[in-house]
Amino acid sequence: MLKAVPPSKAWLPAATVAGAFASMGLPLFLVAVLTVALAALGRFANVDTVTTLYLIPVLVGALRGGVFAAVTTALVGLAVAAFFFYPPLYDFRVHSPVQIVDLVLFIIVAVVTGQLAANVRRAKLREQGEALREALIGSVSHELRTPLSTILGSASVLAQSPQIARDERLGPLVQGLREEAERLDGHIQNLIDASRISSEGIEPRSEWVDPADVVNAAVDRKRALLADRRVGIVVPEDLPLLRVDAALVERALGHLVENAAKYSPPGSPIEIAAGQDGAMVTFAVRDEGSGFAAEERDRIWERFYRSPRHGDIAGSGLGLWIARSLVEACGGRVEAFSAGGGRGATLSLHLPIPPPNDGKPDIPHEQ
Amino acid sequence: MSSSRPVVLVIDDEAQIRRFLRAGFELEQMSVLEADNAADGIRTATLQPIDLMVVDLGLPDVDGAAIVERVRAWSTVPIIVLSVRASEQEKVRLLDLGADDYVVKPFGMAELLARSRAALRRQSRSADGDHLVQAGPLVVDLATRSVSVRGTKVQLSPKEYRLLQVLAQHAGNVVTHQHLLREVWGVTHVRDAHYLRIFIRKLRHKIEEEPTRPRILLTELGVGYRLAQGP
Repeated sequence: MLKAVPPSKAWLPAATVAGAFASMGLPLFLVAVLTVALAALGRFANVDTVTTLYLIPVLVGALRGGVFAAVTTALVGLAVAAFFFYPPLYDFRVHSPVQIVDLVLFIIVAVVTGQLAANVRRAKLREQGEALREALIGSVSHELRTPLSTILGSASVLAQSPQIARDERLGPLVQGLREEAERLDGHIQNLIDASRISSEGIEPRSEWVDPADVVNAAVDRKRALLADRRVGIVVPEDLPLLRVDAALVERALGHLVENAAKYSPPGSPIEIAAGQDGAMVTFAVRDEGSGFAAEERDRIWERFYRSPRHGDIAGSGLGLWIARSLVEACGGRVEAFSAGGGRGATLSLHLPIPPPNDGKPDIPHEQ
Repeated sequence: MSSSRPVVLVIDDEAQIRRFLRAGFELEQMSVLEADNAADGIRTATLQPIDLMVVDLGLPDVDGAAIVERVRAWSTVPIIVLSVRASEQEKVRLLDLGADDYVVKPFGMAELLARSRAALRRQSRSADGDHLVQAGPLVVDLATRSVSVRGTKVQLSPKEYRLLQVLAQHAGNVVTHQHLLREVWGVTHVRDAHYLRIFIRKLRHKIEEEPTRPRILLTELGVGYRLAQGP
């Protein structure tokens, strides 16, 4: 089938053309059957007005192969009709204006039905693609995390053993194993998040959350990265509660913390602060790293954007984009500020404070 | 409850995971029984005295919730669930069905052991009538309903005490939002999560040194709260 496609027809993808040819078997067979039937019938009656019957194979072609198959079937059908049934017989030329109208009608029907059928097929494919992507995410998550669980778990059991814990060469190895496994787990989570974001598959599950809890959870998850840092945490006691998906905001803040730890000198301080700014609660992470230029302010949140100044630091360019996407999914936004190259950066998340009676009942009095 | 060595039943279909769990529990002087599917696991639990069950959520034969439900029909044995991070809702569902705690894969043995010990202690506390719960500098006397931090008595409102009491009864293990709301405010208030956040803040203000950096009353985001366990 593929050989039937001349290489010059590059404007149609080879697979599409091959598929169209493959799906034309049945319509062309129907054309042949119809022709024989009409020819047989033609011995007894005048059949040149029933050539619209050739629309049947055209419709079959449209359903099975789309526009290409439908138009081809229409042309073949009309050619056959012209040859066998339209006067002059056994000649492809046509004379009657009715037959010209037939020709135009056939082409229109072929194109329209072919396109409709193709649209339906594309929608179905997209649906299957989504389902496949979800299934892949699920299985990648499981297939990668199961061996990772064994590695991390086994390392932690080794760390339990007093001989290893006491040994100053082996102890740190086991610790390293554990930290790297946790880092790998973070990468897996990033891939899953990135994939979900790309397919708009993030569904926030909002609940009441204390901003302090979000800060503590994010700091706790990134504790390995912050081990050699002076970390300042500033959270006022009376911040309004938020109504967001806490897990998503925590991961977003975690990306900001990770970003700060990555692009500032080892040992330099990092400050993580929560606060109220009008109708928003903000989470800000400030570092004393190299900062960024004014024109990078928005670009740093873009997918795959990596500052040319950090070519020597490994990274995927996904972290801040994921942070932005997760926060936007929760109805918030992100901001970045730097006083300029070499003067540190402050990256922040801003989430709306829910209106006073947003599904929140009065607190019942104590007896 | 068996005598000296607690018996742990591990139900997980991954042989490698069962292997390190066995090593980890045995290093802590516990005995380990294994099952690689739910049916065998439940059978073992009915035939032998066990002190703790560790159940993987992703078993091939039966949904994790079904195991918890079936075991809870006839036993109060502590159950710890091993879950993957994607399944927050599933985790909460299992805890509300009667599982005692969970750890998220990948996890470290120390974390699982801490959860396991806490669950075992709760079981033995109810058996021995032990009424003192210690969480760092906090001591809750469940018999006299008195609460102290570093030896200083703390005044709590009845609702605040009730909240702390439920957490103390499960010290070291997570207690879901739903569970706390039901126990403290009653079944009609299980959706009023806002109360809970406010009361947790009040409670932290009274028992924590730094209420926004809690060391005693810990948060499990999206799941519930956990009182720290031990001195």
